[in-house]
Amino acid sequence: MFFAIDPANGVAIYQQIVRQVSFAVAGDALQPGDRVPSVRQLARQLAINPNTVARAYQQLQDERVLDAVRGTGLVVARGALKRCRQIRADVVRQRIGQVVAEARQSRLTDEEIRALVDEQLATQRPQTNEIFAPQTNDSPDVNTKQES
Amino acid sequence: MQPIIRLDRVTKRFGHETALDDVSLEVPPGVVFALLGENGAGKTTAIRLMLGLTEPSAGSVEVLGLDSQTHGLEIRRQVGYVPERPTFYDWMTVSEVGWFTAGFYGDGYETRYRELATEFQLPLGRKIKALSKGMRAKVGLSLAMAHQPKLLVLDEPTSGLDTLVRREFLESMVELTAAGQSVLLSSHQISEVERVADIVAIIRGGRLLLVEPLDELKAAVRQLTVTLSDGAVAPPRLAGELLCERHHGRQWQMIVRSPSNDQDQRPDNEFELLRDDPSVRDLEIHTPSLEEIFVAYLKSASEPAEGVDYEHAEPSAVIEDASQ
Repeated sequence: MFFAIDPANGVAIYQQIVRQVSFAVAGDALQPGDRVPSVRQLARQLAINPNTVARAYQQLQDERVLDAVRGTGLVVARGALKRCRQIRADVVRQRIGQVVAEARQSRLTDEEIRALVDEQLATQRPQTNEIFAPQTNDSPDVNTKQES
Repeated sequence: MQPIIRLDRVTKRFGHETALDDVSLEVPPGVVFALLGENGAGKTTAIRLMLGLTEPSAGSVEVLGLDSQTHGLEIRRQVGYVPERPTFYDWMTVSEVGWFTAGFYGDGYETRYRELATEFQLPLGRKIKALSKGMRAKVGLSLAMAHQPKLLVLDEPTSGLDTLVRREFLESMVELTAAGQSVLLSSHQISEVERVADIVAIIRGGRLLLVEPLDELKAAVRQLTVTLSDGAVAPPRLAGELLCERHHGRQWQMIVRSPSNDQDQRPDNEFELLRDDPSVRDLEIHTPSLEEIFVAYLKSASEPAEGVDYEHAEPSAVIEDASQ
């Protein structure tokens, strides 16, 4: 899978990794049994601190999204799909919460807010597949090194 | 665990100039520790003290458990150091400089140096004077890493280098940390520090303003943009430490550090309380980047002292917008 990290983003880097892995699982880009890059590989690929990657992987293990398999490394856990959809729903809920707060702040009425949401629901055609997770091929080693 | 670096109340004076003023800090093993500060803040002085290249006027410095005043040579032998402007015998070739430097280190140095130089795609047979700036920097890094140091010290290693070379330096740092080694990085490239640092220290005018794990720092600091209903009053007081603020008419922008040190408890909730204040019409909360935090700390340090009290006369922390 592909990762895109923005260090200056308000979301902590480890949290960005947690989200991206969870979203990739929720979107079927990663399936149970698929291996994720090692801490070292991913740290190098993203040029970020390995302790940060380790922390993200630890959290993903705590949330039972990833499982450690001896001799293989970390793989997507069985049953992770359901949990990841939940994680993603939580993130979407939080974002909608922010938008609603902003709407209220702009003195929109509940009716107006609902109308805006309905308008978006009507204009955006339903996605056939899950959104977010970029397409993946099996190579974990993407956009790392260019020829110098 | 024993710290890799320990500065205990270190002061360094050059004549009447105080380059470092009563600085204490500890760097635990296995981390990337970043020193941030403007030019002349004392970063290079701190590094030179650690390596035993200069002596403290007061206090003590230990690196890898060794006193840097008495064991400077031993420390320099065990540490990898890339100075800001490395100097080489530039009539030597890339491979000759490795062979020459190997004389100061143990077995295996030259082999490892060649491996690194090859990895960095350096032309082994070319003379140093014919190398580009980026290549010279990579020679410096290869020389500093060839004895597999427990601690790599980088003083502004990537200033003036192109993106790809900077990326290679970052990858090397990442590799070292992954192998359990430690890195001390002094840098102006705040976005790089933001990627790789575990702990950041901010120095200004020889004084240490802050030493803290980067993620805790970022979890605690927020930028608030407050719009008041009345331009004649100051915004309500906040819990926490005000790092800097400015205002333009009825709008105030503040960088504030939450008083709670609990990392999982995001400070936004306390700041959200501002919305309930009758004088506040609008509030935006934003997590600042390390660069914004850094600038805020530098500005707060130009203040006379402790927390700014904006109920009293116009404090100098307030930067009036010129357009008013």
